[in-house]
Amino acid sequence: MSRKLRRGNQIAATRWRRPLSLPLYWRRKDAAGGRLRWVRLILGAALGLFFLGSPLQAKMNAGFNRLLDAVVRIDVREFAFEEGTKRYTASIGSGVILSEDGLVLTNAHVVSPRAVEINVTLANLEKVGATLVGWDHWTDLAVLRIDVAEVKRRGLKFTHAKFGDSEQLFPGETVYAVGTPHGLERTVTRGIISNNRRYFEDTTGVRGYETGTFNTWLQTDAAINPGNSGGPLVTESGEVIGVNSRAYVGADNLGFAIPASVAKQISAALVRDGKVTRSYLGLVPGTLQDLETFYSLKQGTGLLINSVDAGSPAARGGLRAGDIVLSINGTAVDGRFPEQLPPIQNLIASVPVGSTVKLVVKRGEQTTSYAVATEKLESRQGEEWVFEKWGLSIQKVSRAYAREHQLPDSSGLLVVGVQAGFPAAVSGLARGDVVTKINQQAIETLDVAKAEYDAFVAKPDSILVEARRARRVALYVFKP
Amino acid sequence: MITSRPFLRFPPAFAALFLTILSAAGLRAADLKELWRERIKSVVAVEFYVETENERRPTVTSGTVIDREGTVILQPAVMPNYLPPSQFKDFRVYRPGVPVSNFAKAEYLGFDGATGWNFIRIEASGRDGLVPLTDFAVKEAGDVGVAEEVWGIGLRGKDEDFEPYFLSNRVGYITFLPHRTAIALDHVCAPQLPVFNRDGVFAGLGLAGFGESYYQYSRTERGSPILLVSGDEARVFRVASEVLPYLGRVPKSRVGRPTPWLGVMGLQPLPVDVAKFLKLENQAALVVSEVLEGGPADQAGLKDRDIIVALDGQALPRLKPAGVVVGWLEREIALRAPGAAVAFTVLRGKDRLDVKPVLQEEPKTLREAERKYFDRLGLTVREFLFVDAVANRIKQSERSGVATHYVKSNSPAAAAGLHAEDWIREIDGVEVKTFADAVAKLEAIDQNQTRSEFVLLISRGGETAVLRVKLR
Repeated sequence: MSRKLRRGNQIAATRWRRPLSLPLYWRRKDAAGGRLRWVRLILGAALGLFFLGSPLQAKMNAGFNRLLDAVVRIDVREFAFEEGTKRYTASIGSGVILSEDGLVLTNAHVVSPRAVEINVTLANLEKVGATLVGWDHWTDLAVLRIDVAEVKRRGLKFTHAKFGDSEQLFPGETVYAVGTPHGLERTVTRGIISNNRRYFEDTTGVRGYETGTFNTWLQTDAAINPGNSGGPLVTESGEVIGVNSRAYVGADNLGFAIPASVAKQISAALVRDGKVTRSYLGLVPGTLQDLETFYSLKQGTGLLINSVDAGSPAARGGLRAGDIVLSINGTAVDGRFPEQLPPIQNLIASVPVGSTVKLVVKRGEQTTSYAVATEKLESRQGEEWVFEKWGLSIQKVSRAYAREHQLPDSSGLLVVGVQAGFPAAVSGLARGDVVTKINQQAIETLDVAKAEYDAFVAKPDSILVEARRARRVALYVFKP
Repeated sequence: MITSRPFLRFPPAFAALFLTILSAAGLRAADLKELWRERIKSVVAVEFYVETENERRPTVTSGTVIDREGTVILQPAVMPNYLPPSQFKDFRVYRPGVPVSNFAKAEYLGFDGATGWNFIRIEASGRDGLVPLTDFAVKEAGDVGVAEEVWGIGLRGKDEDFEPYFLSNRVGYITFLPHRTAIALDHVCAPQLPVFNRDGVFAGLGLAGFGESYYQYSRTERGSPILLVSGDEARVFRVASEVLPYLGRVPKSRVGRPTPWLGVMGLQPLPVDVAKFLKLENQAALVVSEVLEGGPADQAGLKDRDIIVALDGQALPRLKPAGVVVGWLEREIALRAPGAAVAFTVLRGKDRLDVKPVLQEEPKTLREAERKYFDRLGLTVREFLFVDAVANRIKQSERSGVATHYVKSNSPAAAAGLHAEDWIREIDGVEVKTFADAVAKLEAIDQNQTRSEFVLLISRGGETAVLRVKLR
């Protein structure tokens, strides 16, 4: 869902605390031999001494110790369809073990379906393999499973963490972030809950996928650095109350975590189904803040519809911009402030796909009831692929992308990268173009393009390609 | 006497020929000074103000006198084409080297779509001593050639009384862009000022906007390419035969009407490889990205993605670079009149078809749109035009409301999140139908000092939003 016209005080320029893909740390280690390992050990020892010796240690309890043994480092090797080729990249993140049978909770931006190799380093520094169980970019959560057979065979031990109640958190409450910042395993940083209901959405936040539409975030000043992603935010007794995900780069200690209440629900769904299926109506909410008088509403009632996605169930159902939704399936809604929008969005998303949602809507003086059947929520990010012989990486144009860019329909392939010197780049095709035809064949699906590609590979010959750049249509020839 | 007739009709030509003969007699060095003195009478510096909602911006440019009525042509780029002519104010004309306190006033006549020139006319009292460019033109002279020496006039700044200075060099290259254009080895004149050959015969008109690529080196960066464009001097000029026939195109209206219009968008030339693939390598062809709803092309049955291969039975010329053919076709259209037919041959899939649109007057342009500024709101609204419907990708039948032309920074409208080029569809929850409708509503709000807020429904890029504009 693009939100070109969002209003309110959403956070703009955050960048993901994504694990460094090639951290300087590791390169330097290669050069300086084992020296940095010593630095690391000394730092680790100092940290340990600090913990043991500090008067605060009075509060250090069994729960916190147990939590420390449940936090893991995650090393991921994954492929990326970048610049017209398939490349492998490596990155580091954090995670926390949730169960005896080795389920690990982490961020969706740490481990995605692109991962080809996942290694988990346990608290005792032993490394074991893991596989992806489920992934949900909307809440930036993913669940892995440690290779239990390997763990058994090697007789390795780990503990698992417990969720705390993130709803009970208050600003000022002491919390700890545990993780692998810059590859430094088992790093504990301390801070407080700075805000327990921060709102922001990001349409491309998780590697080009949307996030933050259905949840608010915990804000903390516990230091969160690249590599902390996916690690737990915990209370003094070691209960997991959040999953550290992102922070402002260049700011001092403005970190954000997904609340445990969300993580608990989503991780359960990911373990059960491997994914979270959500419903979509096509309503783009705005905040009612101070518009209540204009709409003759009592303060604290209603959800303002800022926009209705063209062609969406809501549009077909007759809903319009400027409508006020008073209730959803009988539940009264209040969207006065931006912070209140994600739970309402989640209310819609949570109904079974295809079920009918009853909306009571106020338009002018009229209050009308609408029944609208939902569709499955789709990301703006379409399926990715690479045609290596063409030097062309693409993404299928999604319905959301087509809508955002006001394309006539969702056919075509969005060029996300070309490799210099290869047919696509040589022909003049560039990132951002939308390939609409190959050899006079309309590209309705990715399979059509794959068939054309296979034919090219089998019998290389010049082919004619039609692409759209902004509103201009141009022709290109790929030459073998 | 038949032989004397041309001389009577073209005294300047006679003079030029006479000078040519003189120069041929080996008196060149002495002549140039004389030629220069005479020819600076055909150039002027022009200053005017572009008045917008909250600023008055001066523009200084150079212009060439083209007739004895004090008509001066100015380059295209100096007047933004999205502003109505009423916002161009206080035209002043300065003679080169004359104290700037001594200027003449001028009025804006309008612009010509085919050449892009803007025309002004100097008041009668300020025309004395000006010599039109045509006095130095020789019809039979032929265009300059490569290696030929040319010279022209530059003008210093206003603080130096626009003193004229001499520029000279040789022609290095001649090409079609799509006009026949000469590129000299270095600067030869100020933009829009004439260039002369060694004999003082008009050889062309300087063109602004041609940049040269340089590499910029610094301590931290090595060799980053930059494009430098001189605003004061030009080394590129449109040759005389591409200038003289158009001097008569003095606009009949300030907004450039009549404006012939085809109603297509995004003409894209075929790259060489594609042309070869389609067996069109010896000519140019243009892909029509979009045929605009209801326009002449649409009515004649032209379709999106048709490939235009010929005009009036002639294959489109292959110009270099390939993109130039777009300008070529646009000029071909601009030189015709509304009502004239254009015969295209197009490729559609495997078919070759003839399509014959009849040009129409262009729908109301941004220059012509009605607009109104509301200072308290910090907002200018303007008519929602044909082009706005195209930009918003809606059907022409769905046109309603108004567009925002300008949003003053930190004004109530800006604080509410309104941007320029937003489409206002509702004011206070009521649909806005026409410009007059919107103006009446906004005027009422503007004048009602007790109003503390009003609410807009706007559309931007296919999405809508309700904006609350808080008034102080």
